[in-house]
Amino acid sequence: MDFSLSEDHEALRDSAANFLNKEVDHAALLVPGAKIEQAGYDKLWPHMVELGWPAIVVPESYGGLGMSYIDLIMIVGEMGRTLAAAPFFGTLAGAWMIEAAGSEAQKSELLGAVAAGGLKLSLAIADDDGGFENASSSAKASKTADGYTLSGRKNFVVDAASSEKIVVAADSDSGRQFFVIDRHATGVSIETLDWRDITREVCSLELDNVPAQLLENSNAHCWPWVRNRLYLMLAAESVAGIGFVLSDAVEYAKQRVAFGRPIGAFQAIKHQLAEIAGQRELAEAAVQYAAWALSEDDEKATIAATMAQSYASEAYKAAVFRNVQVFGAIGFTWEMKNHLYFKRARANSELLGSPAQQREEVMQILERKAA
Amino acid sequence: MDFNLPAEDDPRRQEIRQWFEQHPNPTYKEIAERGLSAANWPAPWGMGADPELQYIIEEEFVRAGVATPHSINAIAVNQCGQSLLTHGTEDQRQRFLPPALSCQEIWCMLFSEPSGGSDIAAVRTTARREGDHYIINGQKIWTSAADYASIGVLVARTDSTVSKHSGLSQFIIDMKSPGVTVNPIYDMTGEKPEYNEVFLDNVKVPADRLLGHEGDGWALVMQQLQTERAGMTKPGAVWGYGPTARELIHGLIETGKIEDPLIRDEAARLYIEGELLRLLVYRGMSNRINGKPAGIEGNIGKMVASPHGQQLSDLAKRTQGVAGLVKNDDVLPLPKKDYGLFSNWDYSFWFGPASTLGVGTQEILKNTVSEHILGLPRDIDPTSKIPFADINKTKGSAAA
Repeated sequence: MDFSLSEDHEALRDSAANFLNKEVDHAALLVPGAKIEQAGYDKLWPHMVELGWPAIVVPESYGGLGMSYIDLIMIVGEMGRTLAAAPFFGTLAGAWMIEAAGSEAQKSELLGAVAAGGLKLSLAIADDDGGFENASSSAKASKTADGYTLSGRKNFVVDAASSEKIVVAADSDSGRQFFVIDRHATGVSIETLDWRDITREVCSLELDNVPAQLLENSNAHCWPWVRNRLYLMLAAESVAGIGFVLSDAVEYAKQRVAFGRPIGAFQAIKHQLAEIAGQRELAEAAVQYAAWALSEDDEKATIAATMAQSYASEAYKAAVFRNVQVFGAIGFTWEMKNHLYFKRARANSELLGSPAQQREEVMQILERKAA
Repeated sequence: MDFNLPAEDDPRRQEIRQWFEQHPNPTYKEIAERGLSAANWPAPWGMGADPELQYIIEEEFVRAGVATPHSINAIAVNQCGQSLLTHGTEDQRQRFLPPALSCQEIWCMLFSEPSGGSDIAAVRTTARREGDHYIINGQKIWTSAADYASIGVLVARTDSTVSKHSGLSQFIIDMKSPGVTVNPIYDMTGEKPEYNEVFLDNVKVPADRLLGHEGDGWALVMQQLQTERAGMTKPGAVWGYGPTARELIHGLIETGKIEDPLIRDEAARLYIEGELLRLLVYRGMSNRINGKPAGIEGNIGKMVASPHGQQLSDLAKRTQGVAGLVKNDDVLPLPKKDYGLFSNWDYSFWFGPASTLGVGTQEILKNTVSEHILGLPRDIDPTSKIPFADINKTKGSAAA
């Protein structure tokens, strides 16, 4: 038993921090009215590929580094702390679905390309109305002589416009299955949404008879398996985000003077920040435990990941609200970076369902266990 | 990283289990002699156990159905005994530790006073040196176990000419000494009183009962309170003890009350928070194994755990509706287990307000977390730098 991070983990985190501290620049986003197009979404990606980041969780048998999810959250955390804009979430989401649903040949080809050359992916899982598990999907697959074609709509697809291939959940005669399409294939229209969190590219997808390759091992277990990993990603971002907005608010509270004292001396301010510090500790423990449980394929992996996402995203919302409140009105302006975090926190708590939704999932696990 | 808890077939666990099998009804003297009373202490008192072995030992106590020495003699085993190990004299260790670890002498902690709860350094009880004795005068309050303890660890002021934190000293006193009067305090639960007030009227204490040196009192208090707070991170209903969210969910599922949407989401939220508090306890344990500094983080744990416990009991009581106002213990069924003092949700609930008061109020904890962990500016205390004796004289003008 060892609940502490190893020196290797800390070294990995620190090297990611050094890189991102140097490279991430939000100046263009702090111009009023800025959109995702100003985030420089393509700039960091080649460097990340050079550092081997997309290969981290690709198994070694497919040319990846086969590292653990604890290693992964060291890097994802730093990306969350700095709000690094890059098609990382989408690529991992797509890669995980290929790992879960692909045949050996498909995994060798696609995951190999992710690991070696940084093939950019995205995962179109949500339907037009945002539902993940609708009885009937808003995208349909039709069998053709030499494969499938997809038609219909998907929504809230992270990194779709930046990706080269898109993994799509669609209904075929055999039920919900997963397909790979080329982003630039005829019949693919992608609209980048006017998404509030301008550090993340989120798109809608319209498909009109798009040629598609079925991931041959598609089954009902694939999405829950992927979803656990996406919960972990978002939760790891959130914890690091809480850490940032907390220390940001603490530093400001030490410097800003009112009524003759730094405002951080007043209990009305400092007690609220203490609360956030407490929530950060719990959220961090939750994320590390979930990363370990997923790495070990522990029987508690699902509940651990679900708890982590529920708790961390709820705590992140509380932390960004407190951060803006401590800064006062200046924290409410577009030119400050506070709102970037405020919006990321909100997005992280809705992208895969609300914290209350995940609490319901936890409760159902407990009820099944008790039955 | 490895979140596996020590396994059933862990050889260290096997060894402890075997001992309990060979000693089905052990006396606390036997337990102490085996080194199990304070296993983390060095030999000959304990076994020099690392936190993981300590965890195993605690589980094996539960498995054997034997109450742990630290639940019986908490002040000696948890908070104050260790101060004797590091700061006591050899004579003090030999005289006090064996009967403490074998639970033959129960200890209590004489810290809080009527005039200073949160401002615990503002102790007014005095210890005046007279020959080879100190003469103690004053009053203590909120003392658990004072009514049956034989030993008291007392904080008193030995010097009023220096600042309030500097003039304090600690003594190990005999609670049966002439001049010690203990009265129970009837708290709002209406149950058997947990707390007492203690009057000290010209109590004579031999000079060799001074712990450490004169003036060490405040540093010792701080160490003792950190130890106590770290132990209160556990996710129980009151101060880490009693039923947890796991038992709450058990009761809600068994009664079908989990179906109520006004209960369900809150129960899930508390379950998650409780599981994460558990992780925090284990992490504290790991950090100690890995030689990382623990200590002050215990304040964060208690800050989260105390309201968590209150909310557990509150939700449990709400399932009774208006019937919960009629005195009765029949709240939610609990799995069979020893919950110590807080063996039902009803008592946990009515006792609940104490958990954000005792061992530092929630507000004091938040000060500690924000000042010592986040590094925010200290609260203003106009009395902290002046000689204690001058505090009352400057009252009114002190703030200026």
